[in-house]
Amino acid sequence: MEHILSLIVFFPLVAVFFGFIVSKESAKTFGVTVALVEFLLSIVLWIGFDKSNAGFQFVEYVPLISQFGVSYYLGVDGISLFLVILSTFMTLVSLISLNIKKDIKNLVITILFLEMTLVGVFLSLDMILFYIFWELSLIPMLYIIGAWGSGQRIYAAIKFFLYTFAGSALMLVGILYLGYQYYIATGTWSFSIPDWYLLVLPFSTQLWLFGAFFLAFAVKVPMFPFHTWLPYAHGQAPTVGSILLAAVMLKMGTYAFIRFSLPLFPDASVYFLYPVAIIAIIMVIYASMVAYAQEDMKQVIAYSSISHMGIIVLGTFAMNAEGITGAIFLMLSHGIVSGALFMLVGVIYDRRHTKMISEFGGLATIMPRYAAIFGVVMMAAVGLPLTVGFVGEFLSLLGFYRVNWFMTLLAGTGIILGAVYMLVLFKRAFFGKLVKAENKALKDLDKREFTALIPLVALVVVLGVYPKPILNTIDISVKKMIVLMEKKAVLPDTRELLLRVNSVGGTK
Amino acid sequence: MEKYLYVALFAPVVGSLFSLLFTAKKKNVITALVTSALLLLSFVSSLTLMFAVHDGLTLHVKLMDWISAGNLNIPFGFMVDNVSVIMMVTVTLVSSVVNIYSMGYMMHDKGYNRFFTYISAFVFAMLVLVMSDNFVGLFIGWEGVGLCSYLLIGFWYEKDTASWAGNEAFIMNRVADLGMLMGLFLIYWQFGTFDYETIFAHAGSMNVSVVATIGLLLFIGAMGKSAQFPFHTWLADAMEGPTPVSALIHAATMVTAGVYLVIRASDLFSLIPEVGHIIATLGAFVAVFAASMALVHRDLKKIIAYSTLSQLGYMFVAAGLGAYWIALFHLMTHAFFKSLLFLGAGNIMHAMDDELDIKKMGGLFKVMPYTAILMAVASFALCGVYPFAGFFSKDKILEAAFNGSNFYIWFALFIGAGMTAFYSFRLIMLVFFGDKVYKKLGFHPHETYPFVLWSLLPLGILSTIAGFFEKPFEAFVTRVLSKYEFSLSHSTEVELIFLTSAFVILVIVATIYKYYKGGFSKQIETMPLYILLKNQYYIPKLYEVAIFKPYYVLSRFAWKQIDVRIIDFSVDLIAKVFYKSGQESRKMQSGNLSDMLRWMIVGTVVLLALAIFYRPMM
Repeated sequence: MEHILSLIVFFPLVAVFFGFIVSKESAKTFGVTVALVEFLLSIVLWIGFDKSNAGFQFVEYVPLISQFGVSYYLGVDGISLFLVILSTFMTLVSLISLNIKKDIKNLVITILFLEMTLVGVFLSLDMILFYIFWELSLIPMLYIIGAWGSGQRIYAAIKFFLYTFAGSALMLVGILYLGYQYYIATGTWSFSIPDWYLLVLPFSTQLWLFGAFFLAFAVKVPMFPFHTWLPYAHGQAPTVGSILLAAVMLKMGTYAFIRFSLPLFPDASVYFLYPVAIIAIIMVIYASMVAYAQEDMKQVIAYSSISHMGIIVLGTFAMNAEGITGAIFLMLSHGIVSGALFMLVGVIYDRRHTKMISEFGGLATIMPRYAAIFGVVMMAAVGLPLTVGFVGEFLSLLGFYRVNWFMTLLAGTGIILGAVYMLVLFKRAFFGKLVKAENKALKDLDKREFTALIPLVALVVVLGVYPKPILNTIDISVKKMIVLMEKKAVLPDTRELLLRVNSVGGTK
Repeated sequence: MEKYLYVALFAPVVGSLFSLLFTAKKKNVITALVTSALLLLSFVSSLTLMFAVHDGLTLHVKLMDWISAGNLNIPFGFMVDNVSVIMMVTVTLVSSVVNIYSMGYMMHDKGYNRFFTYISAFVFAMLVLVMSDNFVGLFIGWEGVGLCSYLLIGFWYEKDTASWAGNEAFIMNRVADLGMLMGLFLIYWQFGTFDYETIFAHAGSMNVSVVATIGLLLFIGAMGKSAQFPFHTWLADAMEGPTPVSALIHAATMVTAGVYLVIRASDLFSLIPEVGHIIATLGAFVAVFAASMALVHRDLKKIIAYSTLSQLGYMFVAAGLGAYWIALFHLMTHAFFKSLLFLGAGNIMHAMDDELDIKKMGGLFKVMPYTAILMAVASFALCGVYPFAGFFSKDKILEAAFNGSNFYIWFALFIGAGMTAFYSFRLIMLVFFGDKVYKKLGFHPHETYPFVLWSLLPLGILSTIAGFFEKPFEAFVTRVLSKYEFSLSHSTEVELIFLTSAFVILVIVATIYKYYKGGFSKQIETMPLYILLKNQYYIPKLYEVAIFKPYYVLSRFAWKQIDVRIIDFSVDLIAKVFYKSGQESRKMQSGNLSDMLRWMIVGTVVLLALAIFYRPMM
């Protein structure tokens, strides 16, 4: 168990090298096997994880460039543990669902490489290492969209790459500046996050750094108005690309808010609380409306992702354990739900080679199983209690209520508008009479699709009914982080707010 | 006794999962039999619990923890007390009857197995709603019944109107649910828990304005589920679903969840009589408003639906005025006679090949006498004629309104009672008596299966005699709910009862006489008032023009104009600026020696200027 984190990060990379010598026919089997082993490794990590320990566990530390404090530094806590499992799980499921024939070997290798970068992002405790993984993850996605996409795939791929890359450039400056600040304060260089957690920064410095990091994260999430790369990327990406993009890659942004922005810059985070919350509310309402107007199924799901990410951002900036734990849980649930939805759209796209809603109607008659699974996942997407979607959404909104009830009300319209676009989509695609001749011979789900979808549907229900083991593990680390924020805060206002939003009762 | 609780709660879900296995297969009677048996089992367990509760038992179980984060901890907790057990018995009884009835009604439907899956799932959700010991548990059931209602309204999903109505119901309920959620959030941050007992125990020491806000927000949720104005339009459209569903969900049980919420939280609401007054006023308004729309409608089911709305208004009046046990009593009796009325309507629809226009029927008494008698019983109960059930429960509500000196409310309810008498017997007369219009239109109606009629008998009996249990009922539920003191003198009370009864009977007799003589002339249909009522005060139209359409237009605008034209265009513009400037500056590298020398001079000048003017900050 000592080097399990390194194993989890680099196992896919090692497998990639073997992937080159695997024959084309067995490439998918190879990919699934590797992803399965990787998933099992992450489960082993969970089993070995001490859930009463709020700090970083399984820490590995090897100095790389010691004069500049750059090191190979991995660790996992309650905040990152489940995001790692989500990454390995979604990679596995998306590989099972894979049915692309073209250059399958390259695709499998690319996906495994992507898996490494994703896991690396969530496990890095050194900022330089984190940045490397963060940027490396762009390359496989660029390749997936550009090589296996449809329509304007080159445009979409380049837009995705340049946009997120440009956003991250400022973050690099921020990272270097923070390292320098650490040097000034202590006399030694360090890029390790636990070291930085101890650094108390003056308010004005926090403001600048918060801004520099914010842009990188905001593009990744994506937050309004930096979101327009997302519909293109989803529109052109193959199903597997969309699944991984929506389910895991978007979470890198919100994860980074919780890992860096809040504990490193507590005062700035509180200072920018309202502007960020306003953006989050715009995301919820505006993206829901745009989703409702879409004619393409996949774009509905793409915009719905933006809307749900808005709730996650809001929960994060609730600054209390309820909200932040809820936000992290919502990241997981949105990963499962949006992954399943993109997979479901892929099912129909494989059969009809179109995603336009108007091409369908009455699918419930000819594909009842497909309709039933779509229905269950849809209910999770609109946040029905006892599905996975409810828990995170409820907690995030509950948490933010303590900060501001009116903004919570506005963001809460998401539960209405979300039902509008999802139910209307469902009605137009599945209900009504089956009129189009092309749809009359459609086959219901096959074995491959079932194998990929059933685990997702099972999780939707199981985690909806019994989210407690996950919530508890997240919660303990979140509480520790909040204590840290309170300790580090330099302004009395910040402390006051943290104290207020983390306690029950009182006036107002 | 705990095992009875678990049996009552989980038997329906077992039935639902069992028939779920058959949904993709051909019609199989076993799904209906198994679900019926399990619902009956649930009913028997609930009944057993009721007797146990009568002997002084209250059950409280915690199954397991559900959500915990921060200071929050929500368990799956259930309790059986005097209030919830009444709901359990009512729900399981009506649902058992409906389930057995549906074996006949859905006999030739291709969604047979699916239907029974949904019905049992609904019963489970409803039981979670009434049995939970905390507000979030109630909310689980609340959303669960909403989901089942959505699925069952849109049961015949090939019909566009049906799936539209399903969406409308779900979405409109969601609007109200947002209000309720806000109420839940406020509860949490004030009390630190969602547990009923703790909250009710501490509510008294809270700031009254906070409690009032909580009460109002919860009531918004109740308005959605119980289809109170302005959320009422979904209920009439919900009649697109199969008729047994209308009987069970949209009359007897789910729509009363809002009333149940107010009764359940009576310890909160009794602290805030002003909010109670708002509830009662709105209830009285809906009682008349909905009844007025029932006066002119020709759609068999929609008349009964508006009648349901109106009766829900009565219940809210009682609950708002603090007469919680009366509200619960009317809720129960209403469940019996209203589901009977709906199921009778189902028999008629079956006989008439799903025709709903009551003007196309007439004279059906000869063909289906048993249905006619059962529906007449239900109508007498609905109108509150002695000795039927409605007489006892509805009269008590009017008395309570009078008792609290809320004469406007009393008068509204009084008028509402007259309207109820009129539309009920207009329906009876047009359907069962008079000219046999159906013959001209070529229908061949017939009485339904005997087992279906037998299954309705319990409801018929209860609609007749349930009123006589008023005193024991009061004693039973007021062990939990606060008592309601009547300060009226005995003579006033008798006068009131006499006045209302006389008025109702007078209207009934007049209606029967009028329709016996051939009814109203065609001329009445051109009156503005008639047209206004017929179009439901143009409210559905208003919603469409003022909300649905503008929202779509606005959404299109947000996408096409803001997202594509402005935001994405700006992003691409930035990219283009870089690209273009690169393209343009490429020309500098022309390879021409004199060009290069020229640029060299420019460079030298710039560097010299920098050297002269730029002073680094040192």
